[in-house]
Amino acid sequence: MTRPSFSPEGVTLGTSLIAIGVAWTLANLGRLDLVATLRTWWPLLLVLWGLLELVDLAMRRRSGRS
Amino acid sequence: MSARKIGFLILLLLFGAVVETTWRVREDGFMLGPEGCRVLGGRFYGPSFTFEESQSRVLPGGEVLRVEVRNEFGDVRVEAGDGEEVQVRLRKVVYLPTEEKARAFAERIELRLETEGGRLRVGTNRGELETGRDVGFETHLELHVPPASVVEVGTDHGEAVVEGVAQAIVRTSFGDVQVKDVLGPVSIEARHGEVRAGSVGADLTIDARHGDVELERVGGHSELKVEHGAIRARNTAGLEARVSFGELSVEGVQGDLLVVSSHGAVAATGVRGSVDAETSFAEIRLTGVGGDARARTQHGGIVATDISGGLVAETSHAGVELDRVAGPVEVSVQHGGLEARALGRGARVRASEDEVSVDGFAGPVDVVVERGGVRLTTTAPVVWPITASATDVRLVVPPGSRFDLDAESRRGELRLDLPGLGALSPDEEGRSRATATVGGGGEPVKLRAEGDVVVETGPAATTPEAP
Repeated sequence: MTRPSFSPEGVTLGTSLIAIGVAWTLANLGRLDLVATLRTWWPLLLVLWGLLELVDLAMRRRSGRS
Repeated sequence: MSARKIGFLILLLLFGAVVETTWRVREDGFMLGPEGCRVLGGRFYGPSFTFEESQSRVLPGGEVLRVEVRNEFGDVRVEAGDGEEVQVRLRKVVYLPTEEKARAFAERIELRLETEGGRLRVGTNRGELETGRDVGFETHLELHVPPASVVEVGTDHGEAVVEGVAQAIVRTSFGDVQVKDVLGPVSIEARHGEVRAGSVGADLTIDARHGDVELERVGGHSELKVEHGAIRARNTAGLEARVSFGELSVEGVQGDLLVVSSHGAVAATGVRGSVDAETSFAEIRLTGVGGDARARTQHGGIVATDISGGLVAETSHAGVELDRVAGPVEVSVQHGGLEARALGRGARVRASEDEVSVDGFAGPVDVVVERGGVRLTTTAPVVWPITASATDVRLVVPPGSRFDLDAESRRGELRLDLPGLGALSPDEEGRSRATATVGGGGEPVKLRAEGDVVVETGPAATTPEAP
């Protein structure tokens, strides 16, 4: 039995696109400064990706035992 | 780690680099300008809001007032007003994204009027506000001053206009200058911008680097120094111009004209005094000169018409064209010829190549052409010495001329169409020479040529042609 496909970088990319799109829209609405916001929060993408890699690794080990 | 993950990591880091670079550029990177605007060509662009403030100051009457205006970003306009009152209006243009921010900042901009004896200094507190470069703003000043005022304006980025005062001194860095209706002397120093001066009652001095200069109706002596721009002047007194890389066009000079130019054409019309013009790689054209004229150029022609005095013309790699010159003419041409008509007091011509033609002259003529022919024609009785040395020489004189002829052709034909003379046979070396007394004798006429020498009788004698 194959486990459901899970790609950490795919999830990270999708989340990034959503986040950038939302930030850009808010900037257009005058709610925030796009460049300042991105500059502050972009390293979280690396954190998100790292967490997802860890989850993926754990899931693969679990499926290997069963 | 798979190649896909490495690629994605690089993509993320590139994204971060772009964001960081954009942030730095916006904050303090490439000097794109203060918040909400950009600085291009010394001016602000972007959303802006305008606010105004006015002040007036009455100064003790009876003394000449000196008004000194200092501005950095913004125009300065000074006009003559009524009475002894000085009125100043400050227009503040603040470049900030919202009106609230702009108004708050504009309230910090103050108009400063400081008096010291008969001197009034007008400016703003810009220097105190500029602790950083986070806000762009312009201060435009409009003044009405007593007509007897001496006005001194200094502005860095903006136009300067001065009208109707007693004396004007203007210095600008980036902006046009306009001065008119000034009774006394005017001094203008402009770095980047056009300069216009009109109706100046006394001396005018202009020092301009990049921009055209235009002046009209100047009662005193004008002294111009222009580096990269054209000069156009009309109805001036004496004019002295030093110009590089720009044309000079002058019309109606009541005094003398001195032009030292390079890489620019010179055209002068209607000069009452003398003209001394020098340039290179361009033409000199003089029309209607009341005194003597001197024109020197390299790689450019010289055209002179209706010169009341004498003329000295020097050029190379182009020709000289003269028409109606009353005084003595002296022409030196390297790699070019001469075409002259109606020379009132003769000519001395030195040319290295090409043809020299003088049609109608009175006075002694001395022509030497190294590689080219000479044609001299006169309808006035020859009573002056004539000397010509060239490849070929042709002299046309009216009947009844009296002179002592000495003509020699070294390798060509010697043909004398004069009473009692005709074609002469060459000697054993091919040389033909004739000496003769024509019409009873008179001034010496000496003609030398490698080729043909021809002396002809032309139309009946008239009075000497003169402008």
